[in-house]
Amino acid sequence: MAVREHKCLLLSSFTIDNFAGYLSNAPYLPTLEVVTLPAYDNVIQSLLEYDNRVWNPKPEFVIIWSTPDRVCPSFRKVMDYKPVPDEVIADEVKEFADLVIEAARRTGQMFIPSWVIPGDDRGLGILDMKSPLGIRRALMKMNLQLMESLSSVPNIYILDTVRWMMLAGKGAYNPLLWYMAKIPFSNEVFKESVPDIKAAMAASLGLRKKLVIVDLDNTLWGGIVGEIGWENLRLGGHDPVGEAFADFQKGLKRLTDLGVVLGVVSKNEEAVALEGIRNHPGMVIRLEDLVAWRINWQDKAENIVSLTEELNLGLSSVVFIDDNPRERSRVREALPEVLVPEWPGNPLLYRKALDDLRCFDSITVTAEDRKKTVLYQSEMARKKDRRHLPSLNAWLKTLKIKIRAEELNQTNLPRAVQLLNKTNQMNLRTRRLSENVLKKWADQDFHDFWVVFVEDKFGESGLTGIISLEYSGKSAVIADFILSCRVIGRKAEETMLAFACRKAKEMGTTEVLAEYIATPKNKPCLDFFRRSGFVSKPEDDLFRWLPENEYLFPEEVTFLGTNE
Amino acid sequence: MSKISDIDIIAIIFRVIDELNEMLPADNRLAKSEDTKLAGPGGGLDSLGMVNLIVALEQKLSSLLGDDVNLIDDRAMNQESSPFSTIGTLSEFIKSISPE
Repeated sequence: MAVREHKCLLLSSFTIDNFAGYLSNAPYLPTLEVVTLPAYDNVIQSLLEYDNRVWNPKPEFVIIWSTPDRVCPSFRKVMDYKPVPDEVIADEVKEFADLVIEAARRTGQMFIPSWVIPGDDRGLGILDMKSPLGIRRALMKMNLQLMESLSSVPNIYILDTVRWMMLAGKGAYNPLLWYMAKIPFSNEVFKESVPDIKAAMAASLGLRKKLVIVDLDNTLWGGIVGEIGWENLRLGGHDPVGEAFADFQKGLKRLTDLGVVLGVVSKNEEAVALEGIRNHPGMVIRLEDLVAWRINWQDKAENIVSLTEELNLGLSSVVFIDDNPRERSRVREALPEVLVPEWPGNPLLYRKALDDLRCFDSITVTAEDRKKTVLYQSEMARKKDRRHLPSLNAWLKTLKIKIRAEELNQTNLPRAVQLLNKTNQMNLRTRRLSENVLKKWADQDFHDFWVVFVEDKFGESGLTGIISLEYSGKSAVIADFILSCRVIGRKAEETMLAFACRKAKEMGTTEVLAEYIATPKNKPCLDFFRRSGFVSKPEDDLFRWLPENEYLFPEEVTFLGTNE
Repeated sequence: MSKISDIDIIAIIFRVIDELNEMLPADNRLAKSEDTKLAGPGGGLDSLGMVNLIVALEQKLSSLLGDDVNLIDDRAMNQESSPFSTIGTLSEFIKSISPE
């Protein structure tokens, strides 16, 4: 299947071609069609020209990379040590922010690298952060104001240029490139920026990694627990290696706040390894932080498959970290979809290697993300419970599943957008929309959009489903049919269809249509529709239901209705 | 300062070509061959590409020789034919201006 190119428009106040080249050629997803403008210093002009052809078709990504003096004329005076009242600069920043906000209405995600000046420019030296004439003082205020002005706009993200300059080192600014080509950064800065920007884009498209599986011995802690006992592991304490392992664990734990879950696959005696996890005082990762583990002597690739299947996750959402190059090689070969990063031999570099991965970015962090481990653990408790029961339907009845629907509103919008843009498997048409676009779509009279909440005796799974309808003549077309992999197979699918058919009937339509659009990952959705009772011609991907026949709600589920 | 060898010069140019190719579209990438045309008719680099080439080369040569290297001074401008025509002519030019 051909990889789709996403349109990315670059607006810049300097020569941007080198950056455009790196961005186009970066070998990782998403693949981009990078559009640059022939005119130099084109930011303000392009933001004002709504009818310029570069805005049509609508760019999915826009990067606005400017230098502060080109968008805020007063900053030029600041650079000449001329006094400029703070309010004057603030007004100019606000003017720029307003233009950006207006443009954000007609684009997908927008990324704005923060303003910087070359490190070589010392400004007023020791007074630069103190005096009202200080260049860096003014610049910091400008960046802060820009961030505050844009923070409430959901599809605009300010990115940290200073970080890229620090990574690029002493040569971040190259006077030769500036004077000969009007490029204010060395190519090293551009090279550092590309992975961050692509990570942000991947996050917005739902391509982020969701599960980190780590080995134990010499990966999560120093030493081999089965040989030296947990008491003698190097972890924490006043020991550089022990501290480095603890820091690596802190880095992993921090990922869980972004909605990433942690698992362990290790060749060990399970009882011995778990004793180490439970008892070692230096452990930052506790047993409850792990969503699942496979600690045995079997092949690690098989264990990874088994663990991801248990969690209903695809292998492409997995990162596997192991200090042993043979194990890495085996997993890479057996499971090419799994990201297996090269791993440093020195534990003091583990945390840096983790931070360098840049594949866990999220465009929003919801309360549900922060408790994702608990949600997965509840799901696994359900599965364990199921093993003791004779049939699926009998087991489902014992779960006391309750499902309710809500219309789209300001409170559920961020999570709805996240689910819409992240769900791959149970997704009928895989529409990817920004908050603005989704809200506009849902507000239209001939569209209905609901989010679906699922809970059972083990706890709440939260907002885990989306069903939307588009009315066209006598037909109701299912625009979105989306269910988180956490609740697949618990009759939420049938409940959502029953609800949609009931709504379609109330609207006076005579047929409900569901067109399946294939992606490399959404075959589970096709399989569901084939057994759903909706009819289609053999090998056809258009499914149909006549609302005159009632589509029954599953008896294993209590449908609580909507908030209407 | 010691004069750098012909092999070193070609290796440095090829390393710079690798760096330029990271920015160029797949069908415009430069081959690492002494015959590869750089500037002028049929050359693989536009004006910005030439700037990138010169800046990267100057940096690498300066670092190796421990002294500032300027590839576009009068010596380059006074050549009968451009020293930037091909990788081969560029290599000869660098050889001619590098210190004994």
